[in-house]
Amino acid sequence: MSLQVWIDGIFVGSIFALVALSMTIVYQPTRIMNFAQGEGFILGAALGYQFIGVWKWPLVTALIVLIAVATIMGFIMERMVMLPVQLSGSKFAWIIATLAAALIFQSIFNIRWVNVSFSYFDFFDKDIPIFGATLSIQKLLVIVSVAVIYVANELFLRRTLWGRSIRAIAHNPDTSTILGIPTKPVIKLAFITGTVVIAISGFLAAPVIIVAPAAGLFYTIQGFTAAIIGGVGSAKGAVVGGMVIGILDSVVRSWLGGTWGLFSTFLVLAAILILKPTGFFGKRVEGR
Amino acid sequence: MISTFKGLNRLLIGGTGLAIALLLSFPLIANQTSNPSFYLQIVSVAACSSILTISLNICMGYGGLLSLMHTGLQMAGGYAIGILMVKFGWNGWLALVMAAVTGALFAVIVILFSLRATYLYFGMITLAVNLIAMEGVRHGGELTGGYDGLFGIFAPGIPDGMMSPSAFYLTVLTILFAVYFVQRNLIRSGFGRNTMALRESSETATALGISPSMHRLKVFGVSGAIAGLAGGLLSMQMGYAFAEIGDLNNGLIFFVGLFLGGVGTLAGPILGVSLVAVIDFTIRGTAQYRTLILGAILLTTMIILPRGIVGTYRASRYGSPRSREVMPGEAENYKLEIDVKDVTNGEILLEAKDIVKHFGGVKAVDGISVQFKAGEVHGIIGPNGSGKSTLVSTLTRYHEATSGSVILFGEEADKKPFVVARTGITRVFQVPHLFERVSVLDNVLTGMYRRDNYNIFDAIFRTSRYRKANSRSVAEAKALLSLSGMLEIEELAAGSISHGQKRLLEVIRAVATHPKILILDEPATGLTQDELNSLKSLIRKLAKAGMCVVLIEHNVAFLMDLADIVTVIQNGKVIAEGAPHTVQNDQRVIDAYLGNTDFSKELA
Repeated sequence: MSLQVWIDGIFVGSIFALVALSMTIVYQPTRIMNFAQGEGFILGAALGYQFIGVWKWPLVTALIVLIAVATIMGFIMERMVMLPVQLSGSKFAWIIATLAAALIFQSIFNIRWVNVSFSYFDFFDKDIPIFGATLSIQKLLVIVSVAVIYVANELFLRRTLWGRSIRAIAHNPDTSTILGIPTKPVIKLAFITGTVVIAISGFLAAPVIIVAPAAGLFYTIQGFTAAIIGGVGSAKGAVVGGMVIGILDSVVRSWLGGTWGLFSTFLVLAAILILKPTGFFGKRVEGR
Repeated sequence: MISTFKGLNRLLIGGTGLAIALLLSFPLIANQTSNPSFYLQIVSVAACSSILTISLNICMGYGGLLSLMHTGLQMAGGYAIGILMVKFGWNGWLALVMAAVTGALFAVIVILFSLRATYLYFGMITLAVNLIAMEGVRHGGELTGGYDGLFGIFAPGIPDGMMSPSAFYLTVLTILFAVYFVQRNLIRSGFGRNTMALRESSETATALGISPSMHRLKVFGVSGAIAGLAGGLLSMQMGYAFAEIGDLNNGLIFFVGLFLGGVGTLAGPILGVSLVAVIDFTIRGTAQYRTLILGAILLTTMIILPRGIVGTYRASRYGSPRSREVMPGEAENYKLEIDVKDVTNGEILLEAKDIVKHFGGVKAVDGISVQFKAGEVHGIIGPNGSGKSTLVSTLTRYHEATSGSVILFGEEADKKPFVVARTGITRVFQVPHLFERVSVLDNVLTGMYRRDNYNIFDAIFRTSRYRKANSRSVAEAKALLSLSGMLEIEELAAGSISHGQKRLLEVIRAVATHPKILILDEPATGLTQDELNSLKSLIRKLAKAGMCVVLIEHNVAFLMDLADIVTVIQNGKVIAEGAPHTVQNDQRVIDAYLGNTDFSKELA
């Protein structure tokens, strides 16, 4: 098994880890796994293609506008998901609402960018040789982002007041409200942050992997898988889970060929759900 | 207002009749057009979708089981037909039966693997299974036709050849009506009640003796069978089976139909899917926008009409159940005989031996031994947090004791709570655990589950075994309701009655399970004086009939008047036990309740 396979595995794993991290950010105050999260990734890729590939904007401008658009998308997504959840009273509301949101965004991407794959050039056209394998700077950017986002999220949760509010809401939303924690703005912040994080990930990753407009659900599912393997609600779990499936996919793929890579990740998902549903770092719930 | 209600009802019945007539005569209408089979196909496919949505409604709406694999089940049904007909030359109708069996088996296998999964994880498992199944058929080689799928599936004519589109259309329609009735008969029976009980409160259902795993297996199995059937019919209509049928994107139409019509209603699935089919047909020129429009409709429905059309009607003034008048003399029909079998007065039914229960560092129960005897009202009192409820939880195996043994009817009690419940202990929780969205009468009937001796097939076909058992149960349930003056409100949803009525209802439901030991955890809370008197007389009757009634109470006056023996618990230990009068005057008990600041007494 060559080193290149492992490096590619870590790169792909980083993408999944970023998706899973953004899902965890949304999950924490809401206990909702957002089916539409992957669409944010597509937004990043689509706008990267449009701004850098087509309109040839400078990198920084593109990034700033991307963050602005992602913020708006996050806000809209929050309303699309939380309104039905609050009004419906059904315990399925969140899954149907997020599914509907995902399909709506997916069709918007499909309609606007018909027959396009999001591919544009690397930002820094350089490769680093490592023991005979190569690691492009673009890929390194993605891998480093995982660490940056993870550390930033941990610091935010533990050191700031907003962060502590999120942890409080995660434990008990009703008590939090009574104590004066503004749950609704915190939830909006979570959705917006999650969407911005994943949009930037898509923006960075699209030059390397070619992203199709309809691929949102695919990344969502990978993010789910990573989050469940690592433990739903745990940022550490999101990173570990992402790496597990990224490396597994890469290794199995080089060994058995194309579709077996994905298949094996689904098998691991099924196995974890049956044997240890809370994943590596998740918390157990008593009763039931 | 009553006339408006009746008028609206008549309108709905008339409307439904008209719709059915229209559907049945549709082939004649279609023949007038230039392309009859095109129009017939649209309605046939909509009918197949309705069947699948009914299946989804059973497991999600009534059962509370989130399934993201129904498109996969549909695909499995299609492949079953395809493989059997195309590869093995089976007769199509036999193959259709196998499609249903395949769906059921597939569903059952998934449940068996996910018994320990809670609600969210179960949904994720179904998602993963769906993806694996799709990949699986793509890699099935010769058998499944690989990426191309299977072709050449058709609806066989009787006696031979191919069925005409009109005949197949009518066949699908008939099957749809049949499935509707299966759904209706199942839901309006003990099976349906247990399903809804599990959905509303898994703990309460367990306490009534319903086995969650077994029942979920049945519910999902039935749902899977219907889904497989729908998939088989769909493949017959389309002539092929391939992996993309299982794609979650295709499932959107079912969710939209289900939510638009009303989740957890009988007519909702068909109504919703019909509407979606009409909308789909209207926008057929704009394929790209279809997902967008359907998704938008779904979200809008959830915001504006969260209960769906049928659900909103049911919740409105016109459609919701109402309290009725009790006819004079009707109460005479429902006489209650309470008879606790196989116990002799004074016999020890339940015994706790040195029970210890720790929650981490907290010693909730710290070595308690008590005996509970038949025909006695056994009170348990103690300050808040003394361990009364925890003790009872360990006795019913709702929590596992850290150490000590529970002896039930002379033997060590089983570890599973629903088995303990079935053996003859019923517990009424401190916090109301009613099935809120289910009617008062149905709540009581759910308590009689253990004595229903019919199975799924009896319920579906309404055999005489079912009807006998049902009328017996209903009579007894009404007798219990009559006894507590709640016969007028038997149709109302349990969530909408007063607090005192809820508490009484819980006790009655518990009595309906014919327990030998009845545990009441603070039943007097919030009851008016009248209700307290009703409760007292009921408890006295039960004890006289031989039942052991365990009564945890803070209302000391209420308890002392009723109890034959009282156990006092403080800090997880028994500090006094005896007749009410003795215990009331025991200094340790007084100190426990009122506190004692005289340290020298303690040190001495």
